[in-house]
Amino acid sequence: MEVIADVISWCLIVPGCFFLVTGALGLLRMPDVYTRMHAASVIDTLGATLLVLGLIVQAGLTLVALKLVFVLALLFFFGPVASHALAQAALHADVKPILAEDRRGRDVDPGPAGSAGSKEEPSS
Amino acid sequence: MILAAAERAGTVEHAAGAAAAVQKDPAMAAVTANAETFVMMILLTLLAAITLAIIRQRNLFGVVILAGIYSFLMASVMIALDAVDVAMTEASVGAGISTVVLLATLYLTDSVEYPRPRSVAIPLFVSLVVGAALAWGTIGLPAFGIADAPIHTHVAPTYIEYSKKHEMPPNIVTAVLADFRGFDTLGETTVVFTAGIGVLLLLQGGWRKSHNSRRDDEDNELDTDGDEA
Amino acid sequence: MRLDLILRVGAKLILPFILMFALYVQFHGDYGPGGGFQAGVISAGMVILYAIIFGVRAAKHVAPPRIVEMMVPGGVLIFAGTGVVSMFLGYNFLDYTGFAHDFLHAHEWGILIVEIGVLVTVCGTMIAMFYAFVERGRT
Repeated sequence: MEVIADVISWCLIVPGCFFLVTGALGLLRMPDVYTRMHAASVIDTLGATLLVLGLIVQAGLTLVALKLVFVLALLFFFGPVASHALAQAALHADVKPILAEDRRGRDVDPGPAGSAGSKEEPSS
Repeated sequence: MILAAAERAGTVEHAAGAAAAVQKDPAMAAVTANAETFVMMILLTLLAAITLAIIRQRNLFGVVILAGIYSFLMASVMIALDAVDVAMTEASVGAGISTVVLLATLYLTDSVEYPRPRSVAIPLFVSLVVGAALAWGTIGLPAFGIADAPIHTHVAPTYIEYSKKHEMPPNIVTAVLADFRGFDTLGETTVVFTAGIGVLLLLQGGWRKSHNSRRDDEDNELDTDGDEA
Repeated sequence: MRLDLILRVGAKLILPFILMFALYVQFHGDYGPGGGFQAGVISAGMVILYAIIFGVRAAKHVAPPRIVEMMVPGGVLIFAGTGVVSMFLGYNFLDYTGFAHDFLHAHEWGILIVEIGVLVTVCGTMIAMFYAFVERGRT
């Protein structure tokens, strides 16, 4: 019985950590404020949710599991609210998002091959 | 030194936790001790990295956010040292109230740090000398968490046995804070009170003119909501 | 629809729970991590969140500045007052043994009242500092 709980919690915690690392990587590599926020919101919703679900499975049917359910509800509802507040603040401060048509004019080499890495990254 | 301060904060709980772990299973104690050391090393490295980033950052808004991250990392270090009360206080004060108050300060002043007016050699020399003196001073302290340090043989067992004998509430930290060392907590509360009054006197001037002014308050110093009407 | 609708609805949802959590941390300080300092900061955080989202004028209806400024020394008064009361009861300063018939209950009462004093002072100080910063305006 404990082995099943351990396996389930492993299957929940490890993808949660993977999404955490992916979100952090996206936070570093994305070119724009809005795309970075989109990557960072993955950390809040998917990464933290899977981690807390894995911890709930580990905790069993105790009071700790109930408190973790509350923590999960808080993170799940108010992580996106925080991202929304940040994006609205950026929009209010006139931070323009980098759109596709802005980048199209700046392509050095519009050829089919090797154009994935040749777009220059604008300094942010 | 961060480690010395955290050590004084978490010594009682850490000693109790380490003693309980050793009694359970010696092999398990060795494994958890290594994992805890590993986590502690990672957290302290992150603390040093954040401190370097704070020093190098010129934009004060970024510095305020980095200070909030520093407080969160400090709270994690305290949790790793089994001092949960102190961690909760550090997280709520450092990453909550302190960030808000610093942002309010930025709203009142400029948000870019001025360039350094003079050279940095003498302050750097003084900092290095004081830091070296502190590091040399910690050599004389007993090893971290060791069981026969004076604090673990005289004071802490007395408190633990006293609260066990009289069946006091389970959280010994609160019992120490409010009962055994209640006078120190009275001093702490007086310090908070004095600091609050000092800040209020500095910001509001002499008399309470803010109640009489009809100035329209700027409601959003953080740019989080839209304009009023 | 106003621009900050999501923030307002979210704040209205979470604010009672923040206050409830602050009181939980305060009164469960005997059985888990907690106590007066943490609870004071969390409840001050609730008022500050309300002020950030709904405006300082609305927050001043909830927590009037006069009451907040009276809370700052009020907590120290409660704390030192229990010490003086226990002196009047014949024991040492801040010795809670005289508050009830039993040693355990007397000390629990003493810890409770003292932590309430800490909560009042810390909460009042944080909110008063926030009001002072915001009222100053741009120089």
